[in-house]
Amino acid sequence: MKSTRRDAWFDIATIVVVVGALVFAMLSPRVESQGDSARMLFVHVPTIWLAYLAFAVTFVASITFLVTRSLRWDLIAGSSAEIGVVFTTVAIIGGMVWGKATWNVYWTWDARLTLTAIMLFVYIGYLALRRAIPEPEARARRSSVLGILGLVQLIPVHFSVTWWRTLHQTNTFRPRDIQMDGPILAALLISVAAFTVVYVRLLRYRYELARLHLAEHEAAAAAEGPVAGDAVSAPTIGPSGA
Amino acid sequence: MEFEGVAVRVGVATILRDVHLKVEPGESLGLFGANGAGKTTLLRVIATLLRPSGGTARVLGVDLSSQDRFDIRPRLGLIGHQPALYPELTLLGNLEFSARIAGVPTDAAIGALEAVGLGKAADRPAGAASHGMQRRVEFAREIMLEPELLLLDEPHSALDPSAVELVEHIVAGVLERAGAVVLVSHDVDRVAPMVTRTAELAGGTVHE
Amino acid sequence: MSDRFWRQAFAVAKRDLDRERRSGEVMWVTIPFGAIALLLVPLAVGINQDVLQRIGTGMLFVVVMLFGVLTAIRRTNIETPEQRDAIALLGIDPVAEFTGKTMASAALLLVFEVVIGVVAVALYGLDISGWWWMFAVMPLAAVGLAELGTLSASIAASVQAGPALVPLLVTPLAIPLLLGATQTVETVGGDGVNLSWLVLMTLVVLVLAIVGVLTARPLQETR
Repeated sequence: MKSTRRDAWFDIATIVVVVGALVFAMLSPRVESQGDSARMLFVHVPTIWLAYLAFAVTFVASITFLVTRSLRWDLIAGSSAEIGVVFTTVAIIGGMVWGKATWNVYWTWDARLTLTAIMLFVYIGYLALRRAIPEPEARARRSSVLGILGLVQLIPVHFSVTWWRTLHQTNTFRPRDIQMDGPILAALLISVAAFTVVYVRLLRYRYELARLHLAEHEAAAAAEGPVAGDAVSAPTIGPSGA
Repeated sequence: MEFEGVAVRVGVATILRDVHLKVEPGESLGLFGANGAGKTTLLRVIATLLRPSGGTARVLGVDLSSQDRFDIRPRLGLIGHQPALYPELTLLGNLEFSARIAGVPTDAAIGALEAVGLGKAADRPAGAASHGMQRRVEFAREIMLEPELLLLDEPHSALDPSAVELVEHIVAGVLERAGAVVLVSHDVDRVAPMVTRTAELAGGTVHE
Repeated sequence: MSDRFWRQAFAVAKRDLDRERRSGEVMWVTIPFGAIALLLVPLAVGINQDVLQRIGTGMLFVVVMLFGVLTAIRRTNIETPEQRDAIALLGIDPVAEFTGKTMASAALLLVFEVVIGVVAVALYGLDISGWWWMFAVMPLAAVGLAELGTLSASIAASVQAGPALVPLLVTPLAIPLLLGATQTVETVGGDGVNLSWLVLMTLVVLVLAIVGVLTARPLQETR
């Protein structure tokens, strides 16, 4: 992939933003009830936010593909889903580490945790489907339906903390009821912004890679090679053979 | 139908390349070629089941790259290599299902079965019927539906001598209605008398 | 929805139910297998009646969900490419095909739910007072699972490893239906049933129907 000077500046800016977010996270006030382990908040919440964002992009890109039939949108959907799966995994692992520190167990059958794990499997299934279909347009058509259906699973994940009494904290951002100290909230918002920038960069690179693979596939398909039928010749045994 | 420069690629494999073919109403074309030449692929493109990767293709006046290609499907008929019957349903049940979907009166089904010599086997499950019997049911379906363009892939295979005339009958019926037929076969001797012209598919393209 | 639409949808449903009637797969294989699954659970968790009564309803719907997946796998396996081509050439409306397949699957799943429900009540000693809510829960679960199964079978049709993929596609997406069914029944009695769960199930069924209708044509295309 051709790297431009603009790309390099964006990458440097991304690193600066992430480092800045980490610095704010480390400098934010300590939460007495949980100690330093509460700083996991500044990683855990942004990773799950990023997973939501990634799967929402998959949803929108899938619909856009079905409407426009432009493979570009399918590449965006697939790339975003991959990033979403990675960050959901990070969120679950991060949550488990935080859970061990806070509740002294790596896993509880908490609604939010369980449904997030199930959401992960929805998108693993999506990626497995994409892998199983080599033809780009057929792959795009079928996986876009699954990309739309995946949103069905996101809804119970998000509302799980209000539908059930769970160990998991209720939703961090409730527009009319933000129960968080100012400095901690500021550090959290900076982290969320930093992770969003990371997502955008990762999506750009992953999309570029996918686009190059597609171009390679199309070039191979268009190349003037032998037709498939040329591989069949007359038998060499029997009356007409040697 | 009219094909100009039609190409079909599946993945990175080129099946058809630069196919030029024209079949007018009232014509029947016999298409021959070696195994793997792409005959069945070409039939599926004509049947609108496979979209060309390149070139222009028109069937029954409709451009196959447009969404209108779905509308001409009921006017086409295809008898493929493998039977498409549901094994759990009876021979008559399979035909009645086709009639219901196509909007044809279901009592035409028994008449079509009798026409192909299977009237007494109407209640036999398709899974218990031989390949040849299933083939006859597919002929019965096309007799019932009266397509404007009929596509036949190895129509004589699995048919006993008494049923071979079915192929001639069905081809003649389509031509009488000013339709057209494309017939793929390895059996040149049997096919030659019932077609108006022949062509060979080789190297991914059609040679007349 | 025209006469043609309903004629085709009912023809497809009739075809599938006739095929089931002759093969007997749901009645004579899947239902007994579901009953065996319910029998296995006490062998694993112990035969304490209080425990079984607490988990019984949940186990019933887990078994329903998993067998809904089996039905979807079967659907992927039994339709050949030639059959798909033939019905396409008959001029089937893909939305009618989706509707017909869903109707047939939902009917079979409903029969499965009722029979397995009776088995679960007998084996687990479940208290069925207030189970008249099942008249809403069971049909919703059946329709939702049928829609999911039909969609997944279409998505995975002609895909290598399609039958292996279907469980991975259907099971996670069926979770909202499982939750809605079990939570509705759990909240029966006491202060009265919490209708939000029924609303969730209804929403899922509607979303699946909309997606099924809008994507029927793209999924019908083989290329």
